[in-house]
Amino acid sequence: MALLETRRLSKSFGGLRAIHDLDIDVEAGTIHGLIGPNGSGKSTFFNLVSGVYPPDPGSSITFAGTDVTKSPPHAIAKLGMARTFQLLRLFSEMTVLQNVMVGYHTHVPYSLLGTLVNSPRTRRIDARITEEMSELLEIIGLAEYADMPAAELSGGQRRLLALGRAMATRPKLLMLDEPAAGLSPVNVDNLLSIVMALKDRYGLTLLIVEHILKVVMDTCDRVTVLDHGEKIGEGSPTEVKDDPAVVEAYLGQEMDDEEVRQAMQA
Amino acid sequence: MTTTTKGITALLAAGLVTGLAATALAGEIRIGVTMRMVSENGQKYGQMVVDEFDMINKAGGINGHTLDVTLLNDECKSDKGVANANKLIFQEKIHLLVGSTCSSVSLPIVDVTAKTKVPQIIPHSTNEKITQKGSAWVFRVPVSGRYYAGVNAKYVGENIGKKIAYLCAADAASQNDCEAMQAQMKSQFGAEAAYVAQVQEKEVDFRTHMQKIKSAGVDGIMIAALAETMARALVQSYEAGIPASVNRIGSSSASNSPVPAIAGDAAKGVFFTAAYAAADDRPIARLFNEMVRQRYGIHAPDHDFSQAYDLVRIVEIALGNADLKLDSANLAADRTAIRDAIANVKGYQGLASGPISFCAEATPQCRDGNRTAVLIAYTKGGKDYVTEVLARVTMPVDFGLK
Amino acid sequence: MNLLLAPFRGLVDFFQALARIHRIVPWLVAYVFLLPLPEILSATGNDYYIYLTNRILIFILLSVGLNIVKGFCGQVTVGHIGLYAIGAVTSSLLAINYGWPFWAAMPAAVVVTGLAGIIIGLPSVRLEGAYLALATLGLGESVRIMIAVTPALGSSTGIMLIPPPQVGSFVFDDFQKYYYLVMTAAMIGIYLSFSILRSATGRAFMAIREDVIAASVHGINVPANKLLAFVISALYAGAAGALFAHMPPGFIHHNNFTIIEMVTLLLMVVMGGIGHIWGGVIGAIIVYIIYDNTLEFYHIQPLTFGLIMVLLVVFMPQGIGGVIDRYLVTKRFVKLREEKSDGAA
Repeated sequence: MALLETRRLSKSFGGLRAIHDLDIDVEAGTIHGLIGPNGSGKSTFFNLVSGVYPPDPGSSITFAGTDVTKSPPHAIAKLGMARTFQLLRLFSEMTVLQNVMVGYHTHVPYSLLGTLVNSPRTRRIDARITEEMSELLEIIGLAEYADMPAAELSGGQRRLLALGRAMATRPKLLMLDEPAAGLSPVNVDNLLSIVMALKDRYGLTLLIVEHILKVVMDTCDRVTVLDHGEKIGEGSPTEVKDDPAVVEAYLGQEMDDEEVRQAMQA
Repeated sequence: MTTTTKGITALLAAGLVTGLAATALAGEIRIGVTMRMVSENGQKYGQMVVDEFDMINKAGGINGHTLDVTLLNDECKSDKGVANANKLIFQEKIHLLVGSTCSSVSLPIVDVTAKTKVPQIIPHSTNEKITQKGSAWVFRVPVSGRYYAGVNAKYVGENIGKKIAYLCAADAASQNDCEAMQAQMKSQFGAEAAYVAQVQEKEVDFRTHMQKIKSAGVDGIMIAALAETMARALVQSYEAGIPASVNRIGSSSASNSPVPAIAGDAAKGVFFTAAYAAADDRPIARLFNEMVRQRYGIHAPDHDFSQAYDLVRIVEIALGNADLKLDSANLAADRTAIRDAIANVKGYQGLASGPISFCAEATPQCRDGNRTAVLIAYTKGGKDYVTEVLARVTMPVDFGLK
Repeated sequence: MNLLLAPFRGLVDFFQALARIHRIVPWLVAYVFLLPLPEILSATGNDYYIYLTNRILIFILLSVGLNIVKGFCGQVTVGHIGLYAIGAVTSSLLAINYGWPFWAAMPAAVVVTGLAGIIIGLPSVRLEGAYLALATLGLGESVRIMIAVTPALGSSTGIMLIPPPQVGSFVFDDFQKYYYLVMTAAMIGIYLSFSILRSATGRAFMAIREDVIAASVHGINVPANKLLAFVISALYAGAAGALFAHMPPGFIHHNNFTIIEMVTLLLMVVMGGIGHIWGGVIGAIIVYIIYDNTLEFYHIQPLTFGLIMVLLVVFMPQGIGGVIDRYLVTKRFVKLREEKSDGAA
């Protein structure tokens, strides 16, 4: 059984069909890519799977063997699903360390009462969490900014922090929404190497939405192609690249310069 | 934890800032006033107290002492009133406290002045409990609610009828008026209320109640509410089609000029008990009416003006008789002397409906100074309203006490 | 600004050194520092300042509590004064009608107010921003109206003769004695507020304030934590209410709990800096002292306070706490970054 399974997944906004009857399996231990032109429903798919939007009736989402179709986001997160956002959505007024500690929230075992009286147990746990989180910050290279408000970070650092925050939830499945958007080629490579390090270290499954085809082609084991909310192709990166339907969907689209440039990089 | 200390320092700094004490001058008689300085008329009552004290100063003060008057606004809120009283007593080191307008503010201040041993003289509050707390330091110039109800009920039961509907607003004075009236109608005539409506302090819509009152076929409607609210209720009683033959009885605030001004024609025929009638034809009353008209632009002053004026005169008499040292060592002794001097004021004849007398015991009999009420009716509404005096009744001193 | 903050820095360093011994040590030292305040106030000024300090300390409890739901958790509530009223009335009635001592009546009032906090907080599950403000405003005001029309709750005359707290034969019946009570309560309140802020719960609150969706996908139960924030802030309001009610002369009236009081409280939090614990404290002190010293200008007072609030929101949205933060905290990072770039160059 796949780690994440969607069956007949649909979502309409008013009369607009954003996702229609989508069946996707993400196998444990793989890196799964999700590509498609603008407005093809990639972000909506993320929002449905992570519980941010409720899917239309008749849909089914199973994660780690549990039916999560109607679960709220925090319950899904607890099962081991983490995600990033295209627009990051960092907690910008909070410090870098606090950001990743929020990610760790579901794993904090002490009670509010314990905090209030500052019990020895709480202090031990606090110390342990801080240590673990510092280690995580070390991996993503933000350790020395731990006490800085997230808003003060540079663009690339913010992307890394978003990744670190998601990782702090100790996920089985990490879903990355355009992790490389706006990064320089050097930083893209840096990010990819960090992602790979994390995957190996924590035995992650990855689901990546990415515009930059290079990222998808270089890293993914399997790729699903969406267009107008429907699956138009699926397979290994090489299979998908040569699929006429995929080429049609990408090239038949109006593209701005940036997108053309990125497509060419592939 | 970097910010821990900043707050603590600030807290200490707060103490130092407020520590810049206002040093009081010796040789002055310090009077603190806390009143409801919010509505237009409320401000004028407080202004009248201050203006009258100023006139005394201009005329050379009292026994050569000037009066130093501090006026604070309590917004008719008990916590602000208590804070004002404490500020005046401990910071301004006043010899005498004047206040407050609202009963719900005067009530807790009575406890403050009793504890700090500062004489308090009340210009407007009528709630009967104020003088029943047993404080030796409180004096009331207006007529207590217990007397008003007796007068009102007697007149209504004998001249109007016994089937009365009540519309009672939620402010302290109106509630007191409303309950006392019902109790009096019951004890004097055995009459139960025909209909009772409890409404909000600043309610604007009484139509449902008015329809029910209309169908109840009553002899009279008692409308107990503050001025603006009462005026609205009066207008709506006519809109609901309740005929003029059903008498409209007002609570004590019916005397306030916004009632006829806002209610217009609906004010005609409304009668109420008060401590002063602008229709009073004594020369002193005519002079007073003219003075208030010139100074404050009020067509015919209500009893809150006359009580503010009478209060100042009583204070003037008492201070004139008190032997005051007016230095910081004798603050407590001076306060006691002023209290005793006010308690010695007997039979003061001013604008009020009857003579005002106090005595030494800490009882309502001694401290409710005025027990004469006048029954007043509006014969014409609008800004240029006209009143007439229906009756003048003095109640026995123990009336309404259990 | 640097010169102005220099003495603060010395103190900050001193207290930080203390904190290294144990987290509670600076608080104990501060507590001892504050114990002789009434004597100082009485000697340098007069006893009214002690009374004023007590009133301020009660408002500090209120504003620190409000900061938890509004500052930490970002929920715009205008119903806080209603909760304050519930605390005051509950404690008074238990003391008067059932003879409960303050030490039982106050905790009971705190619990009751906490439960009421759930009700005030319920709209937050579905509503945000101005809509939430309106809903909580309605709930808070209906508390006041209910008190105003129910004779058993004091209605128009108010509740009087609320007994002061007592331990054996020691009665907290004057300003100075009451000061020890409210000062202790305020210190505990501020300390707990820091504990909450530092905990996972505090981080959950802030995450909700910063981004609800991001918070929820990182495992935070948003509705439950919003309600928790409302309940915790209600506990503060309940304690403040009980302390206000039992403070001599022991009188409460529904018009102590109007929208004007709510606006004053908001002004304290906004001026101090939303989300800054010390901001709430400083805001309460400043607003109250300004208010007290301008009593004689009652004609223009409400207008002026409203104007200050608008100006603050427009020109200093971070409040005093935010300004201090910018100078004391952010500066460190600017320096850090400069050093980094120097190293890279």
